[in-house]
Amino acid sequence: MSGMSIGMIMFGTLMLLLVLRVHIGIAMFVIGAAGFVVMFDFSWLPLLNTLKNLAYARFSNYDLAVIPVFMLMGQFATNGGLSRALFRCVNNFVGHMRGGVAMAAIGACASFGAICGSSLATAATMGQVALPELRRYNYSGALATGALAAGGTLGIMIPPSVPLVIYAVLTQESIGKLFMAAIIPGILAMVGYMIVIRIVVTLNPDAGPAGERVPLAAALRSLLGVLPILLVFVVVIVGIYDGWANPTEAASIGAAACGILAVVTGGMRIEGLIKSLVGTAQATAMIFLVLLGADMLNAGLALTQMPAELAAWVQGSGLPPLSVIFAILLIYIFLGCVMDSLAMILLTIPIFYPIVMGLDFWGMSVPDKSLWFGILALMVVEIGLVHPPVGMNIYIINRLAKDVPVMETFKGVLPFLASDLVRIVLLVFFPVISLYLVHTFGA
Amino acid sequence: MHEPGVLDDAGAHYVQSLGPWGQRLYAVTRWFAIAGGIGFIALVTMSLVSIIGRKIASTPVPGDIEIMQMGTAIASAAMLAFCEMDRQHLRVDFFTAKLSAKIRHVLDALSHLILAVVALVIAWRTGLSALSLNEAGETSVILGWPVWAVVAGLVPSFLLLAIAGLYNAVHSTSSSVMEDVA
Repeated sequence: MSGMSIGMIMFGTLMLLLVLRVHIGIAMFVIGAAGFVVMFDFSWLPLLNTLKNLAYARFSNYDLAVIPVFMLMGQFATNGGLSRALFRCVNNFVGHMRGGVAMAAIGACASFGAICGSSLATAATMGQVALPELRRYNYSGALATGALAAGGTLGIMIPPSVPLVIYAVLTQESIGKLFMAAIIPGILAMVGYMIVIRIVVTLNPDAGPAGERVPLAAALRSLLGVLPILLVFVVVIVGIYDGWANPTEAASIGAAACGILAVVTGGMRIEGLIKSLVGTAQATAMIFLVLLGADMLNAGLALTQMPAELAAWVQGSGLPPLSVIFAILLIYIFLGCVMDSLAMILLTIPIFYPIVMGLDFWGMSVPDKSLWFGILALMVVEIGLVHPPVGMNIYIINRLAKDVPVMETFKGVLPFLASDLVRIVLLVFFPVISLYLVHTFGA
Repeated sequence: MHEPGVLDDAGAHYVQSLGPWGQRLYAVTRWFAIAGGIGFIALVTMSLVSIIGRKIASTPVPGDIEIMQMGTAIASAAMLAFCEMDRQHLRVDFFTAKLSAKIRHVLDALSHLILAVVALVIAWRTGLSALSLNEAGETSVILGWPVWAVVAGLVPSFLLLAIAGLYNAVHSTSSSVMEDVA
């Protein structure tokens, strides 16, 4: 049997195991190990030798150490009440416009995303803060919950962003450059969501009435209060990009700063600290188990040479590169119906990355293409959080807004989804959106 | 699958649904997880001291990268079992959501069992690796710390993960957090 067909069988069996509720990381591990044994003519020895070092090698990877540290930073921000200060501040500036409170929620999600790498945490914490306000001003259930569910995805799209760290580790890409490349697309996402709110309230003024106007002086004072948070973001991102701190060190600075802010301004005490540690542990464990399995799977897949052969086949097939990239994006959207975003990245990047790198897109150089595809993949996997049937953000927000039926939230999120799709198409056709900052501040 | 630390209300009554041994196991895995978290706070502090030392006095913490690597390995492994006890490890729920509870419990028992076996195999191989590193007397490049001890530090965590998996395999009929959320 050829390596290619073994690789295909591996993937088929993997999907079957996933359908049968085997944990994603464990299924990847089992299939990878099985592929390993088959490729060595059913000899167990090579597998057993690989396994000796697998866990330690994966868990002691210096680049991956950044993930738990970012998780800790996000947990401090969540349990330290930083989300409330951010929401109040943005609301002071835009709340008086029609739909303004929802826009404030989006803006607050984006700024919270700048210190938190998780979508669900952003949606949940902002939901707790902003939902009561939105309901107080009689926002429609659809607009209020839709905006928060969509806004939650800004947590991932605005760096720091865990999927980008994993993409970087899988493809040997620079974390700093990826974070830099994600900034403009992330801001674009935020602006897109705000435009959506504007359109919704223009069509249906009752959906989002205007809030109170806050005197400029008071608004500026509240801005002063959240300045440290923005400073943390700048230090972390510039620190990584500029190279005066490596990603793990920059994340450490961010985590420490958020921890101090949480204690000093957010009143976090022992209980909040333990909550943060437990939350960090769960998020980290989830990711690391999948990382461990993906490592084994990729070792097995690499032996079959299926990724390389598939890439060569696509390259030689004469398929137009644009149809290939749109096919890949479609696959992500479908996978997003059933799977978590990190698992999707880990599962598909080893296959898709060589394919994309082998094709020509407007004569982009290889480093540019690698950044461009990373941002595209990030954007498209995050859509899975807000579209049916899984849409975790939707369920999280919906649990908080007990009086809004789930269908209402799904309806409310649709216009935001439309803006997501428009943005992704823009990013495909205009790589400069992702590459501009990297080129401008390039070394 | 929900974001940890966010929907704790679902977790509390899940713990109460566990038997006395389950609650003890839950407590042990939780302490492992918290210890791992404290480990990361220590690593963050070390990293800060190192970068400040490097910028101000050109004297970073010696072997800071090594410490971070070894620490991350041990601390993150310690977090695995709690996530299993809380049934938070990622899986695909979509296709089986409509099946009868009975079939789902059988599938769940199997999947937790597979997880336990994988964790046992990893504990076994990692333990062997620690033994042979001990014999070879291998030390870390900069600090000269014995590598075997660090590698061995992963073994209890994977053993605990295996135990948690076995517990869940046997008790997969008790209500799970995920069903409460969905």
